[in-house]
Order: sequence, then structure tokens, then C-alpha cells
Amino acid sequence: MRPAFLIAWREFAENAKTKGFWLGLLLFPAIITASIQIPVLLEKKGTPTRRFVMVDAGGGFAPLLREKLAADETRRQEEALRDFARGGAREEAFAGFLDPTDKQLDLARWRAARGADWLEVPGFKPPAPRFAESPLPDDIAADARPDDAARRLRPWLRGERKLSVDGKEAPLFAAVLIPADLAELAQGDGSKGRRGIQYWSENLADVALPQLVENTVNAELRRRGYTAHGLDPATVQAIERTRAPMTSLDPKKAEGEEAVGLADRIRQWLPSAFVYLLWVAIFAIAQILLTSVIEERSNRIIEVLLSSVTPGELMVGKLLGIASIGLTMLTVWIGSLVVIVVWKASGISPAQAAAAGGMAQLPGDVATILRTTWLLPAFGMYFLLGFLFYSGLILALGSTCNTLKEAQSFMGVIVLFLMVPLMLMTYIPRDPNGPLATALSWFPPYTPFVMMNRVTADPPMRDVVGTLVLMVVATAGVLWGAGKIFRMGILRTGQPPRLLELFRWLRS
Amino acid sequence: MTAPVLELRNVTKTYGTFTAVDDLSLSVPAGCVHGFLGPNGAGKTTSLRMILEIIRPTSGTITLLGSPSALAVRGRIGYLPEEKGLYKKMKAWAIIAYFATLKGMGHRAAKARAFELLERYGLKDFAEAKTEALSKGMGQKVQVLAAIAHDPEFVILDEPFSGLDPVNQTVMEDIITDLRKRGRTVIFSTHVMAHAERLCDRLAIIAKGRKLFDGTPAEARETLPRRVRIQTADDIAPLRSLPEVADLLPMADGGCEVELRHGADAQAVLQACFAHGIRLRTFRFDEPTLHDVFVKLVGPDAKEAMYR
Repeated sequence: MRPAFLIAWREFAENAKTKGFWLGLLLFPAIITASIQIPVLLEKKGTPTRRFVMVDAGGGFAPLLREKLAADETRRQEEALRDFARGGAREEAFAGFLDPTDKQLDLARWRAARGADWLEVPGFKPPAPRFAESPLPDDIAADARPDDAARRLRPWLRGERKLSVDGKEAPLFAAVLIPADLAELAQGDGSKGRRGIQYWSENLADVALPQLVENTVNAELRRRGYTAHGLDPATVQAIERTRAPMTSLDPKKAEGEEAVGLADRIRQWLPSAFVYLLWVAIFAIAQILLTSVIEERSNRIIEVLLSSVTPGELMVGKLLGIASIGLTMLTVWIGSLVVIVVWKASGISPAQAAAAGGMAQLPGDVATILRTTWLLPAFGMYFLLGFLFYSGLILALGSTCNTLKEAQSFMGVIVLFLMVPLMLMTYIPRDPNGPLATALSWFPPYTPFVMMNRVTADPPMRDVVGTLVLMVVATAGVLWGAGKIFRMGILRTGQPPRLLELFRWLRS
Repeated sequence: MTAPVLELRNVTKTYGTFTAVDDLSLSVPAGCVHGFLGPNGAGKTTSLRMILEIIRPTSGTITLLGSPSALAVRGRIGYLPEEKGLYKKMKAWAIIAYFATLKGMGHRAAKARAFELLERYGLKDFAEAKTEALSKGMGQKVQVLAAIAHDPEFVILDEPFSGLDPVNQTVMEDIITDLRKRGRTVIFSTHVMAHAERLCDRLAIIAKGRKLFDGTPAEARETLPRRVRIQTADDIAPLRSLPEVADLLPMADGGCEVELRHGADAQAVLQACFAHGIRLRTFRFDEPTLHDVFVKLVGPDAKEAMYR
């Protein structure tokens, strides 16, 4: 077996030296970390305060909007102060206001005690406001018609002219223009084809400001409507808050625990993530394997190899080497996923998680599921089986083709075939033990993907064991056949063999 | 020249109706450089692959280093295939060391050996270069070194000279000569007779899968009648009656080739010329070359080889 290990080692070492391998290895955790950290960082560093101007021709909405923005800013300041207090850098400054167990700041008491100075803590820098209103340029009247105002504001909005803020130049981020007749425009469906509130900005991706404007103005319009009809807005608000409770329940769970929570939903969908990982891994590895076989074949290194090792050793060595490349990649991927999830989960207190709603629980729930279910071991097993099955096919294919180009056309068929489990990935979790999922589980090429998808849905034991046995047998069969074809095909020159010939090789 | 290290007995290889190698028998003694000559498509590569057990003969037996299976003794064999290729991304020393370890050498010994060989054959500066950066000739030398790095007793080189410039051809000849000095057995195929002439202790000529000749270069030359080339204005008819002379062949330039009988001495012709008063402008006696032998044996098939 020594030659097989030597071949495996070379295969591993040479692939591990490629830039592509490291890129693939690091890109995945980098993307996950970035997708979690970047929003946090951006929040922390803060985008510079964005300046906007407001023209409220009717005069009824601007004060409300200012009030709303101020409230938003206060909430952000409170949040920042809470984080600062929990950080523990200046614990003595908050003496008496911190919860001794989870270091939560009792904001209500704190603000009551400190009054206007509630943000004055040594070392604490309150976040810069996200939005700040600037006064209108001199030649624009506070009650100008939106179209006029827009025409005059264009140079500022386009960045050709700058605002002057505290003696420094600042760009105008947006203009909010509210027509005087907004109330009439909003009646019924008369708003169609009319502009109504105009939100001008070069940056249409940041929707925080326009949404705030839209929500506030509409709330105010509705409030006025209720009053006009003699309804008490407070009563209406109370009625609108009415909501009949509804709970999803799972009959399979123990009494008292039937409620379907976020964890259950993750349990349902997490396998899909693994199926995707499996798919990407098998696919990437198949490419490496194909390239490697064809390289040896096309430059005839294969002859030297075959004068030193048997075709069987060569095949086993290649499979081992490339499987270990794939396993390394997957281990790093999953490992980094687990590390990130656990790290994120540990930094969140229960009170905070409750405050932030369900999403903050996500890392913790994922960690629990990974720890308590068969997901990871199942993944390892199905990866190995899937890898061996498909690499057998690829090896046989590679050994009969002279160039990568020739192989690619056959590869297309395999890819198309592999698309099916990918497309079913979203469908199967909805009905993991349904007829379609069950039927596909018994089809070896799809067994790893479909069973992986069903793993947390408690599939019947008959399916688990049966499909596993079938898959092992099928994989062994594919490898046996691949060995035969590999032996015959690897030295053949000229045209790829025809199908009939392949069958003869299998029977020989 | 002791007991044969390689013995082929009635080896035949057919692909469907095509016979690549036809009833080939061959015996290569130890410590001998054996040439394997033949035009393209003669079955040289197929024969070598069968010797290596990369492919199996349809019938017949092959014994290599006392074993019926080359795989059993593969650690003692070195092989350079006809089509040359290397892993593009590997360094020169790493490839040599890799193939040596596949043949059973330890990692450290293989690495030391790779550097030693690269230095000895003038490739020291390229040891750390990736093979894709090497010229074709250098790549080929690296591949030969990879084939002999584990110091095999038996080395098979398939067309080792093809694609090499004259300088590198000399280096290749040096490699083969060195192997012989160390008592190794080398079998190499070629269709360039000059290399065979200089290197071979023994040679086999095959064409269309059949062996046409097997023996030493001297024996090969003896298969051809020896000729004396003369130029004269006088009548040479009297030479025809000499017992040593088989035939007189007039040449286009007015000269004549005198074909001698087997074992005859050219001196007799010269004496006869003096005796008959034939004034010679030229009298040249050449040994036939392997090239002549090859052309004679292979006939029309040799044309292709001649022009290469």
C-alpha cells in the first residue's frame, strides 16, 4: 500500500500548494465572518452624519418627522451606552445601575437619576447622529412647491455645491419635499401617477430615511382621518394592536414541548445548508480529480507511474489524496462555521437576545443543533459515500478522455444529473418523509443528498439503513467498474472508446 | 556478458485483427546496452510496454530479472516512455525524488539523489525550477534522471534521443555510457542509427512487429556484402574473374562498386588491379554501416526513418 499512500500524499501536497485551494479554504470563513462583522463594524464606525433638507409646504409634517428622528437617535444612544456599560471599562461610573449578573444597565433609573447629563460618562463617546437636517439654502422658501424646490436644489443634490456646516463643507445627502396638498393626493387611490412626497437622493440604497418619512407621514394622515371621522386615535391604535395568538405545534414532540420554535425551523433548514456544502464539495473535488487524471494521461506520466505501481494502487492513491483535499476543505469550512457560531452565540446575553427578537438566538440554536443531532457525523458519512461514488464515475470518464475539453462534454451530463438534488433541496425539507423524498432516497446517485436533507426529520429506520446499504453496494460497484475502465482506458491513445467498448471492458 | 536478464519467448500482441508484435523472441544479457531499432510503428513501444507489464502479451512469455512479472521487480527497473511529460507545477528535484520514492527509496535519500543527479548532468541551476519553466530538452533530461534515480539494474529508454539537440544528445549518450560502466543493463529504442552505432553492444532490428535481426553490431554488418569503391579510366572487366568478387556494380559517376564475397579480403582486389595495370584514381574500402544494414533489412519501410 506504500505506493498508494505516496501517490495520495503527492496529490494532496500538490493540490494544497495551489492558490485556488487556499482561496477556497479561506474564502468561505472570510465571507461568513464578513457578513456578520461588516454590518456591526459599519454600525460602530458609523457612516458620517448624512445631511438632508426638508421642504414641508403645508407645514404639518416637518415637526413630526423631527420628533421621530430625535427619538430614533435617542434609542441609538441608549443602545450605545448599554453596550459601553456592559463592556465593563468604567464599571464604577455606573455603580448601582448595573445588573450584577448580566451587567445590563437599568436605563430608566439611570436617565431619571442623571437627567440631561445621562450621556456624560468619562470615556463614552455617543454615536454621531445618522441624519441631521440642514437649513434650506437662502433662495428657497420654506413653503416652496416641490418641483420648484427640487429644481433649485439640484446642484446641491448632485454634489456640485456643498452645504456649509460649522464652517466646513458637507455634501447634501437627500431632500424631502412634501407638497401642500398631500392630504388630498392621498385620498382613495388618487395617488396614482402623482408624485406626492418627493425623496431626492443619489443614494437610493439607504432606505432608512425615506422609510421613516413615509411611515411617519402616513401615520399622521391616518390619525387626521380618524379625528375627522370623530374617532379617538388612541382607541383606533388600541384596536389595531389586536392580534389573535397562533402557535404551530408538532405532534411528534413530547407533551409540553410541542411548540415549534426557531430552533425547529433551523433544524428543518440547516440540513439544506449541509446538502449545499456537500454539493459544492463533491463538485469542486470532481473537477480536481478530472484535471489530475487527464494531466497524467495527456502527458503520458501515466506510463511511468504504471511501471512503478499497479493501476489499482494508482486509483486508490488518487482517490485518497483528493478525498483528503476535500475533507480538509470541508473540515475547515464547517470548523470555521462552528467557531464563528459559538463565538457569536457566547457574546449575546439572554436579555439581549430576547430584546433583539428571534434572530439573535440563531447562532446559539445552530450550536445546540450541531451538538445534539446526527447532522455532523451523517454529513461525514454521506460526503465519503457521495465522493467515492461520483469520483468513481469521474475517474472512469477521465481515463477514457485525452483532453479536458473532451471530458467536459461528458462532465456536462454528470453536472445536469447533479442539478436535481440541488433543485430539490428546498422542496424536500417541506415534506422530508413524503413519497418523493423517500423514492429519491433509494436512488443511489441521489441518496447522499436526499438522506442528508432528511436526517433531522427522523426518517424511518428502514430508509436510513436500507438506503445506506444500497449506497455502499452501489459505490463499491461503481469503484469496481471504474477500476476496470481505468485500467483499460488509461493507456489507450486516440479516440475515446465507444459505449459498447466500455461494456466489453467491464465484462473482461 | 552473463546470463540473460531479459528473455522474451514467442511474444505476440494483437489488437483485434492487427498484430503489433509477431512472435518476438529476444535475449538480453546482463550489463549490456541493447538497441531496439525499427521504423515507426514497428512495435518497439508495444514490446517495451509488454516487458514492463504495462500491457500483457496475447501469447508468449517474458522473464525480467528472473521474474515472470515486471511488477514484482519494478523497484529494480527504470523506464523512460516514448512520449515525454512531467507534472508541470512540480519542481525538477521533487519529480525525480517522487518517482524514486515510488520505486521504494526513502524520502531523504531520494531528495539527496535528485540533487546529486541534477548536478552531475548540468541541471543544478534548475533543480528548484518548476518543470513547466524548463525547455523541452531539459525536461527530457529531468525525466531520464527520474527514471534512473533509484539506481535500477535494468533501464528501458523509449526513444531517448528524440527531440534533443546535438549537445543534449551527447549528454544522453553519456548517461547511457555511465549506466553501462556501472554494470547496468540498458535497452533503448531508436530509429537513428548513429546512436546505436556508438552505444550498442547488441541490437535487434524489428519491422512490422517481426524481428529481422538480433546480434552484435559487427554481426549486423556482416549480413551485408562488403564493397570496394574504385574509380579508374581503365577497363575493370578482368576483376570479374577474381574468386573474391561477387559482382561489379557500375555507378552513375563513372566509378564502380566491387561487391566482395563473404569473408573475402579487399586486398586481393587491390593486388589484381596492380596485376592488370588498372590505374586507380580512387580505392576506398568501407565497412557497411548499421544504416545500410537497416535499409537493407527493413527495405521500403525504412524510407520514413531515413528522412528523420
